[in-house]
Amino acid sequence: MGLRKTTIAMLLLGTATLAGCDRLASGPADDSKIAETAVPEKVLWGDTHLHTGNSVDAFGFGNRLSPEDALRFAKGEEVTSSTGIKARLERPLDFLVVTDHAEGLGATKALYDAPAFMIRDPQMKRWRELMHQGPAGSLRATAEMLLARMSGKLPAAMMDKQASAKRTRSIWEAHIRTVDRYYDPGKFTSLLGFEYTLMEGGNNLHRNVIFRDNGDKVRQVDPLDPTKEIFPDQLWAYMDAYEKKTGGKVLAIPHNSNLSNGLMFMLTEPNGGPMSAAYARRRAAHEPVVEITQMKGDSESHPFLSGNDEFAGYGTVGWDTNNLANNQPMKPGDYAGSYVREALKRGLMIAQRTGVNPYQFGVIGSTDSHTALSAVEEDNFFGKHPGVEPSAHRATDGFIPGMPSGRMNWQSLASGYAAVWAKANTRGAIWDALMRREVYGTTGPRMVVRFFGGWGFTPEMLKGDWVHAGYKDGVPMGGTLPAGKGGKPSFIVSALKDPKGANLDRVQVVKGWTDAAGKSHEKVFDVAWSDPEHRKLVGGKLPKVGDTVDTDKATYQNSIGAASLATVWTDPEFNAAQHAFYYVRVLEIPTPTWVDFDKVKYHLNLGKEIPLKQQERAYTSAIWYSPAH
Amino acid sequence: MSDWRDRLRRLLAEPLVHFLLAGAVVYALLAGRAPDLGERRIVVDRAVAEALVQRFVEAFHRPPDQGEIDGLIRDHVADQVYYREALRLGLDKDDEVVVRRMRRKLEQAAASDAETRTPSDAELQALIDKDPARYAAEPRLSFEQVYLGADNPAIRAQAPALLRQLASGQRVDGVPAPLERVHTGEDSATIAAGFGDEFAVALASQPVGSWHGPVKSGLGLHLVRITARTASAKPVLAKVRQRVENDWRAAAVRDAQARDYARMAKGYDIVIEPGH
Repeated sequence: MGLRKTTIAMLLLGTATLAGCDRLASGPADDSKIAETAVPEKVLWGDTHLHTGNSVDAFGFGNRLSPEDALRFAKGEEVTSSTGIKARLERPLDFLVVTDHAEGLGATKALYDAPAFMIRDPQMKRWRELMHQGPAGSLRATAEMLLARMSGKLPAAMMDKQASAKRTRSIWEAHIRTVDRYYDPGKFTSLLGFEYTLMEGGNNLHRNVIFRDNGDKVRQVDPLDPTKEIFPDQLWAYMDAYEKKTGGKVLAIPHNSNLSNGLMFMLTEPNGGPMSAAYARRRAAHEPVVEITQMKGDSESHPFLSGNDEFAGYGTVGWDTNNLANNQPMKPGDYAGSYVREALKRGLMIAQRTGVNPYQFGVIGSTDSHTALSAVEEDNFFGKHPGVEPSAHRATDGFIPGMPSGRMNWQSLASGYAAVWAKANTRGAIWDALMRREVYGTTGPRMVVRFFGGWGFTPEMLKGDWVHAGYKDGVPMGGTLPAGKGGKPSFIVSALKDPKGANLDRVQVVKGWTDAAGKSHEKVFDVAWSDPEHRKLVGGKLPKVGDTVDTDKATYQNSIGAASLATVWTDPEFNAAQHAFYYVRVLEIPTPTWVDFDKVKYHLNLGKEIPLKQQERAYTSAIWYSPAH
Repeated sequence: MSDWRDRLRRLLAEPLVHFLLAGAVVYALLAGRAPDLGERRIVVDRAVAEALVQRFVEAFHRPPDQGEIDGLIRDHVADQVYYREALRLGLDKDDEVVVRRMRRKLEQAAASDAETRTPSDAELQALIDKDPARYAAEPRLSFEQVYLGADNPAIRAQAPALLRQLASGQRVDGVPAPLERVHTGEDSATIAAGFGDEFAVALASQPVGSWHGPVKSGLGLHLVRITARTASAKPVLAKVRQRVENDWRAAAVRDAQARDYARMAKGYDIVIEPGH
């Protein structure tokens, strides 16, 4: 029995006892009176991925905010950021999932609070001292801790299972209480969840785990520490056990496949053999949605994979050279297992071979902010973590100042949000929409996008109540086309600009399919665009929309582009014998990046390699087609 | 600093732990009470052991086996021994972390009532009465809108004819967009989130009844008919209970801690010398 262990146990005594005795008699607000509409009428905006000071890295980065602060901010109340800046979200969110890292929940704070003379390990002692020196030291300590974690070299004392289990239990209990308290059915939904930070070999295999249920069920389990595996078998077993034990429901959302070095969407099983139907089924059942875009880059596709797609590669620069830990270079051969469009194609290939599609998932965007603030507007970007909250130097700092991350902070994206077509603003309705994939993601702007697939849609339908017709005679995004009665499938696509944002350039349908040999293909169709009188397809290619960005003022004009775009599109190349998917990508006209806003605000001279304009976008979940067997 | 450590190390070298394990018995401190410095008995009775087991179960969701129970007890005894020896050596004096920890414990103690108590309706009502505007039900609008697309002179020129059609009961579809035609009971923040600020402002002053327009929004132009308007209503506790309770709790914690501090500080003669 070591001195250290007893000390930490003592330190924990106070909070553990408190947590144990102050359970609230009352649960969260009753949502049974909130009626669900027959079909989703209104899109809900939210963030499924946010960290507070309880996350082991966020605290080290200087995050001193709590889940309560995060919830208040998302609801539109003013909070003071960790660096002392007053912040209020102009448009509150409809829902939020605070997903602190399960691993080492509260551990950095515990180390910070521990008495120095009781820490024996020289490394930990150094980190504690650095953290007490102030923000710069804290960043440095955290960078070192992250590196040690990612290479499996954390001091044994930090891995004490019993101490961390106790700490986790007490923080989790407080977390559940707070999140339940802020649930305001019909108006604002707080869901319970955590992040499962699987990163074998420094490759990003992280998942956010999201519960459908209230605290009475969720508190029967603790958040799960990650293990060493490539497929999250133990997570899925944990999820099964939760559902069995409580009768509740839980799903998982993988993220940052772009930093997985090809491991997120494998064609094979971890042992190298081809993926079996059983495995494919297990994956699809637990992971109905993938996070396609966030601050650590965008995972839609890469120019290497989508050579004919001139808009591929948004937010990939800097994130495509190395894995998360920056300890394994990324080879182009790894990209296929790292990007979402290719995963959708691989899913078809596996479905063609086994009958089951492991990668029939929907997509959302989220922030992964470590500031406890879900803020991704370009003109008011709060950064990935408190070390890069607004300042004159953050654009040219490293992504994690003091850590050789291999990335510059200007490569961070002010992205993204999750859009959910739910039948009510409740835990159940939002979770159910995620499960049926009726969701989409944006890089931040709140464009509204509808997408229906069917067999008899005609352009005349757009004159009437096409939304209800879309549900009645077809399937919404996330769905699978029912068996056809011959002919070609048609799609209703309708997009509306962000009421406080930029006009739309174009709407595209991205199609993927497999041929008889089992090989996969992709093609991007421009289906609706602004100014069609003047912009005509030339050799199948649409001329650019134009560019009104003034990077010296960080402004753009809505004098180009369209406020809304809608069409009914029929796949001209449909082949009934081929597995296929279709998803929609909506592009805004060019606008300034957050870095350009910083440049103007702080009068910066920035290198030419730093992009000051971009075309933000929305990605919908796909609609799938399978040939009858 | 270094002599603390030396004393501590010397202490650790002694077979004190074994001696105590063999002969002595432990007394409970799980309540958090500091032991009398002269107290040399450490008693592990049934209550203590049960508390240890209980905490293990909370952490691991299973009962400990016999070996683990022995380990828990050994650990607990060691905790007590170290703790008391450390106090005897005065290691708690002027230690910044102990100071902060003690302060936090008292703050937590002061807050614990507010943290756990369910406030009475009267208390919540009092809070509402203090700032009724904060909890008042926001004015809500029900309206129908027809979206005409981006703002341009041609569309504006068509608007009067479309308004006449609507007035005569004909249906006007407008531009297809993922935008609901019928909106029921929305507050101004919701309207602004969907259409932009200027639209929400424009609707606020439009009378109930007939079709108007074109009204400008962040999306373009609309024809709008307000179908119902509810004025800002006096807050009703049942409808805002959770929000009031969250506010009550945050305030109650702050107040309890401030009161407790003021009470304790009164007992001290606080001298702040000039020049500092």
